[in-house]
Amino acid sequence: MEVDKEKQQAAEEMVKKNVILTKLEDVLNWGRGWSFWPLSFGLACCAIEFMAAGGPRYDLERFGLGVMRPSPRQADLMIVSGTLTRKMAPAVKRLYDQMAEPKYVLSMGSCANSGGPFTDSYAVMPGVDSIIPVDVYIPGCPPRPEAFFYGILQLKQKVQKPAKVRLAKNGK
Amino acid sequence: MENDILQKQMEELALKLNGEYEQSLDIPVLKIKGARISEALLAAKNFNQTPCEILHDVTAVDYPDRNEIEVVYHLSSFTGPYMIRIKATIDRDNPVIDSATKIWAGADFPERECFDLVGVQFSGHPNLKRILLWDDFEGHPLRKDYVVPSIEERKILRAVKPGE
Repeated sequence: MEVDKEKQQAAEEMVKKNVILTKLEDVLNWGRGWSFWPLSFGLACCAIEFMAAGGPRYDLERFGLGVMRPSPRQADLMIVSGTLTRKMAPAVKRLYDQMAEPKYVLSMGSCANSGGPFTDSYAVMPGVDSIIPVDVYIPGCPPRPEAFFYGILQLKQKVQKPAKVRLAKNGK
Repeated sequence: MENDILQKQMEELALKLNGEYEQSLDIPVLKIKGARISEALLAAKNFNQTPCEILHDVTAVDYPDRNEIEVVYHLSSFTGPYMIRIKATIDRDNPVIDSATKIWAGADFPERECFDLVGVQFSGHPNLKRILLWDDFEGHPLRKDYVVPSIEERKILRAVKPGE
């Protein structure tokens, strides 16, 4: 009897150390935040900075998003890096529609955020958010790889803790 | 040395075609009427000693106060490092000029760009349609009287033609 109780206590402690009880959605979100599959999507000079971020000096692989997908059907993160022209805009919208849910959009650089220096141009879309919903905006012209990583980490927070974002949005 | 020859030939060409000759930053410039552009380009291509057989670019400048459009051709020669410039003035209300595609096949794309942005009609061009902007674009944005649409209009996703 005494031995059984000791065994049971030891087993319970093992369970506490090795088993986590959580919701399936939380586990999936945790995984999503650590393994983005970005659609390689360079539109202008920000793409050069994005390439620098992917190179060995800054090493994008650390954050689990080194696998660039050439097809939107395999991707869940669209990184719009560069000036979006109005001629190009329908193609971007189409690529976004082709991505599988859940999907996230990261707008990189001031051109993608708001049109940047070309806001008043007849040929440039004033901000990518006028055609697709954007999750995280990264300011800069172009942003440094460090700024880009900060944006990625912000997106990771947003994906892994959606409740936090909801609170911040509603001002509670 | 070659520049001297080139200058002399340009001056002769200016006399022959009723044009004006001037020198702008060491580049000989010939100003002529738009109707005589084919003659001028052919003559420049067949210059003695310094034939200007490279067409670098075709551009145009809008002058609304003079009611004119100036089509600018940049040429240079394989035998010398010098450039020449030929400017042809055409009427702004009826901007028609002969295409240079019969003389240089490579004039195709620069002329399409010129049509796209300034609205110069090149008669005899094999495929004169927009090259940089989309087909439904209204107006020619490098004209001085072009009005850029408001930001609300530009935020709307443009319609795509089937097969584009």
